[in-house]
Amino acid sequence: MNLVSLDELELHLRRLRGVVAVGFVTTDDLVLVEVQAGPDAYDDLARDATVLAAEHVRGAVAVEVVRWGDGGPREHEARLRVVELDADPGAGELTVRLAHDEQEAVGRASTAGGLAAAVEATVDAVRAFLPDLAYLPGWARTVETTPDRRFLVVASVTDPLARTHLRGAAEGATPIEGAVRATLAALNRTISRSL
Amino acid sequence: MATSSESLVESAQVETGITTVYRALDELVHLYALDDAALVVDVPGFGRQVLHAGRRPLHDDEHGFHCAEPGLYLQPPLDDLVLNDLMVALATLALRHDTRVP
Repeated sequence: MNLVSLDELELHLRRLRGVVAVGFVTTDDLVLVEVQAGPDAYDDLARDATVLAAEHVRGAVAVEVVRWGDGGPREHEARLRVVELDADPGAGELTVRLAHDEQEAVGRASTAGGLAAAVEATVDAVRAFLPDLAYLPGWARTVETTPDRRFLVVASVTDPLARTHLRGAAEGATPIEGAVRATLAALNRTISRSL
Repeated sequence: MATSSESLVESAQVETGITTVYRALDELVHLYALDDAALVVDVPGFGRQVLHAGRRPLHDDEHGFHCAEPGLYLQPPLDDLVLNDLMVALATLALRHDTRVP
């Protein structure tokens, strides 16, 4: 993929009705395209954005459409948030504490899984809120370290029956924190209606 | 070695408008050792647009760019109205230019 095609893709995406911003996370084997859309976005925006991305990117591409409603972001969408992370190398366990309103839940995973343990512990905590969650932990990968030592991480979860994948990207002060937040970024918009 | 302004001018000569805007944002971040930079513009044919340094995703829009007025947003902030206006003008012209280039 070259820069001109990235420009073309971004310009095409920005011309779609309701699109406000376009961002990219590029790894060796995946291009993640984030499309931020305002309240005037149309129902088939995700389909059109995916078609455009597939036309302009060679190889694996994932499109994440982030929709915001009227009245500003975050006010109309129920979301889980990270309360606490605790990695205990002695016990070999990673603990992730999430919250929804006043309720909290803890997820755990063995640190032997490396960065994927953050995805596993996060999904474990999400399942405490949503026992029927269809998505299973996938992988996480640090794709960029910023000059101020922030870690940009992409995480993936999979619905094995539907054979669908959700991917999210987020920053953290550590790769583990980035992976937890990226896992929530992947899941939050899908699970918000069920919370 | 080319200075920042020279490389920005070179970009304006041979690259697309949107690449030049991102180059300008990245150079601002580098020049002033900023944590972050973004532009909010309102361009005919595009509507409200947010351009984030490094072409990075906005994720949860923690800075509230969806609701922000057109302008240059730097972290930490720089109180420079001329720079603000120049960057907004550059981005507006760049997007209009790219719309017209086949």
